[in-house]
Amino acid sequence: MPFLKRYLIPRLIAYVLVIWLGITIVFLIPRLTPNDPVMAMIGMMRARGSTLEPGAMDGIIADLTEMYGLQGSWLDQYWAFWGRLFRADFGVSFFNFPTRVNQLIATALPWTLGLLLTTTAISWISGNILGGLAGYFARKGWSRTLDAVAMVVRPQPYYIFAFALLLLLAWVVRWFPVTGGSSLGALPTFTWGYIKDVLWHSFLPALSLSVLGGAVTFQTMKLIVQNVNAESFVQYAKLGGVTEGRIVGKYVIRNALLPQVTGLALGLGQIFSGALITEIVFSYPGLGMLLYNSVIRADYNLIMGITMLSIVGITTAILVVDLTYPLFDPRVRYY
Amino acid sequence: MEVGKKILSRREFLQGAALAATAMVASACAAPTPEAKEVEVTRIVEVAGTPQVQQVVVTATPPPVVKEEAPAVLGAFPRSETLIARQLTGRVGTPDNMNLWVGWKWQDRGLQNLADEPLWSVDFATGNIINGLADGDPTYNADFTECTVPLREGVAWNDGEPFTAADVVFTVETLMQFDGFGAHTFFVDNVASVTAVDDYTVKFVLNQPNSRFHTTFLDRWGCTRIMPKHIFEKEADPVQFTFNPYVGCGPYKLHSFDPQGFWTAWERREDWDKSPTGIMYGQPQPKYIILQGFDTEGAQILAQLTHQLDVAELSSDGLKALLAQSKTSRAYQPTFPFVVNNDPCITGILFNTARPPFDNVDVRWALILSIEMVEYMSIAVDCTGTVSAIHVPHLGPYPRLYHEPMQDWLKSFTIDVGDGETFAPYDPDVPNRVVAYARSRGYVFPDTPEFLEKAFGLGWYKYAPDIAEKLLVKNGFSKNADGKWLLPDGSPWKISYLCGTILTNHDARNAAAAVQQWKKFGIDAQVLSIADNDGIQATGDFDISGNWPSQEPWGAGPDLYRVLDRWNSAYKKPLGERTNGIYSRWSSDEMDAIIKELRETDPFDTEAVVAVGTKGLQEAVKNMPGVPTYGYIGFVGWDEYYWTNWPGSENAYCQPYTHWPNFKYFTPFLKATGA
Repeated sequence: MPFLKRYLIPRLIAYVLVIWLGITIVFLIPRLTPNDPVMAMIGMMRARGSTLEPGAMDGIIADLTEMYGLQGSWLDQYWAFWGRLFRADFGVSFFNFPTRVNQLIATALPWTLGLLLTTTAISWISGNILGGLAGYFARKGWSRTLDAVAMVVRPQPYYIFAFALLLLLAWVVRWFPVTGGSSLGALPTFTWGYIKDVLWHSFLPALSLSVLGGAVTFQTMKLIVQNVNAESFVQYAKLGGVTEGRIVGKYVIRNALLPQVTGLALGLGQIFSGALITEIVFSYPGLGMLLYNSVIRADYNLIMGITMLSIVGITTAILVVDLTYPLFDPRVRYY
Repeated sequence: MEVGKKILSRREFLQGAALAATAMVASACAAPTPEAKEVEVTRIVEVAGTPQVQQVVVTATPPPVVKEEAPAVLGAFPRSETLIARQLTGRVGTPDNMNLWVGWKWQDRGLQNLADEPLWSVDFATGNIINGLADGDPTYNADFTECTVPLREGVAWNDGEPFTAADVVFTVETLMQFDGFGAHTFFVDNVASVTAVDDYTVKFVLNQPNSRFHTTFLDRWGCTRIMPKHIFEKEADPVQFTFNPYVGCGPYKLHSFDPQGFWTAWERREDWDKSPTGIMYGQPQPKYIILQGFDTEGAQILAQLTHQLDVAELSSDGLKALLAQSKTSRAYQPTFPFVVNNDPCITGILFNTARPPFDNVDVRWALILSIEMVEYMSIAVDCTGTVSAIHVPHLGPYPRLYHEPMQDWLKSFTIDVGDGETFAPYDPDVPNRVVAYARSRGYVFPDTPEFLEKAFGLGWYKYAPDIAEKLLVKNGFSKNADGKWLLPDGSPWKISYLCGTILTNHDARNAAAAVQQWKKFGIDAQVLSIADNDGIQATGDFDISGNWPSQEPWGAGPDLYRVLDRWNSAYKKPLGERTNGIYSRWSSDEMDAIIKELRETDPFDTEAVVAVGTKGLQEAVKNMPGVPTYGYIGFVGWDEYYWTNWPGSENAYCQPYTHWPNFKYFTPFLKATGA
């Protein structure tokens, strides 16, 4: 009961308030910019050759304003938005009119989740295992070699690193495709052939994300393990004759993982923002490019839809970490 | 274990075995190395010091061999029968929605350029207007309140239904009925009624005289297109209708598309001879055409280098990189300047004439005369653009109709410097100096007068900083002790030159060159680069921008109404509101009178149209609300590994862009190499 009253209920209230505040801020900010969705659409159509007679422009603007649901005050639009939200409807995308935002997100989300969930897991697991071992056996030659590699890889700007991989593996040796999430002409089917094709196309984007992400995790874990290794309980275990394998696995790495678990939760929450540069370099489908286009086109509904996923994702991840932390660290209790 | 005299430890053995196994797995995953092939390509070869176009044989590395287990791919599209072109407007946001009458639907994914036929099309390479679904020019009555259009017989939609006047009538009536269509307001404002006189004649009765009404159906990279009545009439809400698959009268029909929007595949229709393209030009050669979106130029280049892309549209640097590394790629021109220099658009400098001091024509001329054009062209485009002193580009019919006849007027045109002094600003020698500079850079190109005029133009304005200074001083400007210009109120003169964030685009190129020249002249000028700045310009919140100095002309035919009407005072709005005319917000009573005169002139009376159009161009030069610098240049790379006989400058049977609607018109002329 004290847990419920003193921690869980206030924590849940804070969770809801953070989501509400985040959504309200995201509702306001695009409307405060000088970029107007109707003007953005007209400007884009003019630049791409669409016929827009100057004498008809006022009528076109009025028609677009009505189609986009932008009549009325901001407060009217705000209440209308919440009304749709409780029906799980983000409305239509202005830039991709009349396609609904839900449909656009549903099309892009599986690609983002597939790529980023996989690479986040790979980089977290590999980075922590290698970093943990390298941190404990810091004086070994292989540990120093790994550390040197991470020091070289980590500062690389992602765009340069990703493009270098593309040049090397798609142009020089031609092992992987240049662009796309799947081959030209391949349509989504639940067949082994299509799945292999997607895996082949996603290898380079995944490799670029995993290597750089893994290098960061490696270095962080190595530092944490070196600190934990110097703790007195570890020294006591060594003196007490505990086997080295047990010390590494049960004493050192397990304790060093605590902050890394928090980092993993936050990383998983950020998946919903997509990986914009990855998608640009590899022409890979996903939420990143969708979000970028929605921002520059002032596509309010699409911005709200994608950022809401991000807000809910990150907030929920933090909540889950908070509530489950006592399972990882018995020293933490909420009552 | 012993190997020679060295004892191999178990650990070393296991490490070596792991490395060997990794190498074997990696090589097993790699694609087999394809054999090199010989291919015939178009190249420029120097013969006795003179560049000549020749076909030469090169050895090229074929594309990667597709693994057998890879699904569909180019097994479904035999590569030798498939043309792959880059889609200019990028990844499609609505892949399953092809209703291009509503909003923006990425019409260059094959909708306008392969599957659709308009009534008429502009071809800026030949200067001709091509009949598509129409069978000749429209005819107007005496006061331009009725327009009759003859239609082509023997055309069918790609589902086999015949095309008739009923489709045109249905299209216009539907556009007028539903306000969700982009063309709704235009047709409601202009059309009183539309009727089918017979199966192949349509008559429009207009609400008011409009001698250019028919141009709404003239495809110049966009127009009002005809709906298939037999499909749309079944839809209760045609605005929401996705129109998937697209049904048009063009020679290709939809095959498939990527749900993520990266590619759209088209297949030649079996009854291609029932499309205007087939009727006029014969069978399109590629059986399949795929329009593919790329997010980076580097990916385009890599795709073309590996023969996975036949048509790339790049920046100048991208084209240079491609040509340097590819044995089988070529540019539009086989020799310098390499570029597509007949795109019907003039680039330059746009003044906001509603904002001081740019509301003063003397100030505008001062800024022009402070530009040294050879330096400007070298900075902006490395001398590859064609300069133009008037507000239409030097291409198509315009040199013969406007540039050349206006030379005498330009040479005699003077501006008032003050104190009784006048100055003639035109300089016909500018192109010669640009040519000399280009040669000094080591570029090789023909020296025939025809080539030089087409590539470099006929003239521009003098570099006269002394005259520029007099113009400014005449209007109260002064210089401080550091030589920096001050406004009449004594404050430092600062100019923000607005452009986009893609620095290879021509707005940014003009910005960089102009700002450099004005800084040299003593003005505190800077480039202000903002993404998606159209709204800022439309509401007048800028000093100078890289937007086009005048509206793009048709590119074919003599009529300049499309250019001049944008300066119509009726479209101007107060600062802060979106203007419907050109963003310079300039107008004059004289230009309004010229526009009215042109509107009342028969658009098919070439002599009369040219006479009024010339007056309009003269008025624009006198006032310079925008400064024309060079014609728009495009950078196209064609890979000749699979397809040849592209419409290059030496073989300009058609305009060269695949994103333009005329792409379908050059498909019958392409030749498969058999690779």
